[in-house]
Amino acid sequence: MRVGIPHFGNVYIPVKAIAQKLGASDKELIIPPPTSQRTLDLGVKYSPVEACLPFKLTLGNLIEASELGAEVLVQARGTGICRLGYYSKNQEQILHDLGYNIRFVHLDVSHHKIWSFLKLVKDMTNNAPWHKIIPAGYFGLSKLFALDKVEKVVRKLRAVELEKGKANQIYREAIRAIAGATEGKEVKRVTKEYIEKLNRVLKDPKADPVKVSIVGEIFVVLDPFANMDIELELGKLGVEVKRTMSLSRWVKYSLFLNPLGIDEWKEVHKAAMPYLKRDVGGDGWESVGEKIVHAREGYDGIIHLAPFTCMPEIVAQNIMPSTRENIPVLTVLCDEQMAKPGMITRLEAFVDLLKFRRKRRRI
Amino acid sequence: MLQVEELEDRKMIKVGIPRALYYYQYYPAWKTFFEKLGAETVVSPPTNKAIFTSGNPRAVAETCLPVKIFFGHVISLADKCDYMFIPAIRSLGEKAYHCSKFLGLPDMVKAVVPECPPILDPEIDLNKGRHNLQKVIYSLGHHFTSDKGKIKKAFEEARKANLAYQKQMSNRAITPVEAIDGTYRSKEETDFALDMSPPLKIAIIGHPYVIYDDYINHRLISRVEAMRARVFTPEMAHQEALDVALAKVVGKPHWSFEVDVIGAGEYYLQAKLDGIISVAVFGCGPDSMMIDIVRHRARELKTPFLHLSLDEHTSEGGLVTRLEAFIDMVKRKERICV
Repeated sequence: MRVGIPHFGNVYIPVKAIAQKLGASDKELIIPPPTSQRTLDLGVKYSPVEACLPFKLTLGNLIEASELGAEVLVQARGTGICRLGYYSKNQEQILHDLGYNIRFVHLDVSHHKIWSFLKLVKDMTNNAPWHKIIPAGYFGLSKLFALDKVEKVVRKLRAVELEKGKANQIYREAIRAIAGATEGKEVKRVTKEYIEKLNRVLKDPKADPVKVSIVGEIFVVLDPFANMDIELELGKLGVEVKRTMSLSRWVKYSLFLNPLGIDEWKEVHKAAMPYLKRDVGGDGWESVGEKIVHAREGYDGIIHLAPFTCMPEIVAQNIMPSTRENIPVLTVLCDEQMAKPGMITRLEAFVDLLKFRRKRRRI
Repeated sequence: MLQVEELEDRKMIKVGIPRALYYYQYYPAWKTFFEKLGAETVVSPPTNKAIFTSGNPRAVAETCLPVKIFFGHVISLADKCDYMFIPAIRSLGEKAYHCSKFLGLPDMVKAVVPECPPILDPEIDLNKGRHNLQKVIYSLGHHFTSDKGKIKKAFEEARKANLAYQKQMSNRAITPVEAIDGTYRSKEETDFALDMSPPLKIAIIGHPYVIYDDYINHRLISRVEAMRARVFTPEMAHQEALDVALAKVVGKPHWSFEVDVIGAGEYYLQAKLDGIISVAVFGCGPDSMMIDIVRHRARELKTPFLHLSLDEHTSEGGLVTRLEAFIDMVKRKERICV
């Protein structure tokens, strides 16, 4: 069985690790080429015009995977309120119309997540025994956690490094090393090594970076192609980026801790309560709550990322200006029309504003 | 003097109901409910330019047109009522949800229309079971009376009113506006009887708050009717028939509005109408996905299909041209001589 997956940040690394541990060859797991302009063009060409960017990008990935001979495609599915529930229905129709004889399997991201994940792995590996799947799953997830751990250090470092671009260069090497690791121990060792390497990078002693928090819709927040590497660009402008949302956090809570009744967003939801009383699907509630929490924590500004026409984020966007906690918010809508220079100009203006505000507060 | 005071005491509580979004589906039920509880309902006027221009600047630009207009209706009612009724409807069927904007509606109104009177925002989620619904209804009714029996009775009456309303529309094939205002004529009395050529049958599918709001769609229904076509809308079909049609195409619905678009589309495609016009507003998340499925089915069944995407910039002229072209195409296909 040839299984194809769409891209979502670095998610292909853990997926590949799981497949390799279970003895799947390169032909059985088809990872489409990294998301590129061509991917986007394909996605835009065949998607409904008003579909959101994650739909278009993942469709582009799946088309490229089908070109490489994938027969089964994996797509996330949720019964939330946002469009995600419809992704596979529409994408299947589009791919059939293009003449690909493919079948969709779903990873349920709103109910029974851990079971859906394990079952998917089992189905895709022709009923591999559980005693093999569980360690393989563990190995894959360890890579995911390692990647996020390194990334967290990099996000802080980019703002203060003396030699611009050094942290990112090490980060790229780290991704390659983690992706190449074949044993759990090796992942740990490599991660430690690279974090130490990052810690040795020379920092500007005079640097006093502005602190910005990134909130918004999970796909555009976590996928560097979708948000045009916004974290890197902010780093270049000397901004320290904080991001609560990460894939490892999502996995940790959604797969393991939420079923036990532990809610990672409890505090954030509580903060949002006076302004938005209920979950509006997607990450809208969290966006409002995080704005308030981070304003209280003393951040300088918020960057709110959302795909164009994203319903939950529009609700958040309408509500955000009315909160008592006053902190500048820059909403960046991501779609296929976005151009990098335009985004950088907006970021520069926003960062200048934050710096002025900080100076004024100190006087 | 005493009399005046008494009158003052008896002054009924006024509940504002914006003539937008849910209005077309539930107004008769809501009116009955509040009136049985001894309150009075106040409805905003049909959407007009003043309503649009007052609501539009309050919302973020990306917000869809019906929601912007909804804000305008709330503003126009703000000083005319004691409470504003804006329910947050999460789900009206098993695992079928409303769009995010409907859920966030009360909170968005609070954020962008600060002058709005206290909002009654019951959260309705049928997935949570009957008991939860009862609790929500009691706490809603509690604003008007502490008599639980009265609330229960009002709710039952409202439910009946809603069923009667739906039945009236599907049996007589009339639109919600006609049913609410009682302005309908029996279809035989209309101009068609005078016209010798058999009228075209055109279905207009979409959300009720788009199809029936003449400001949003530039009087689409009467325009199509003026082109000597008989118009069918989702509300004119029986709910069960639409559900069956929907299940055939997509299986279990995911959104509450699927039945208005995919269900009605499929139903009228099966009924072999001469053409289907789907109407949606720009930026509608659910529609962006659903319309494509209907379009695909229409192509399979070789039925003419026109999709109109509307927003605040839609010009009447452009819309009319497209409509005329579409109707001409349908006529040519059907070989109806004019």
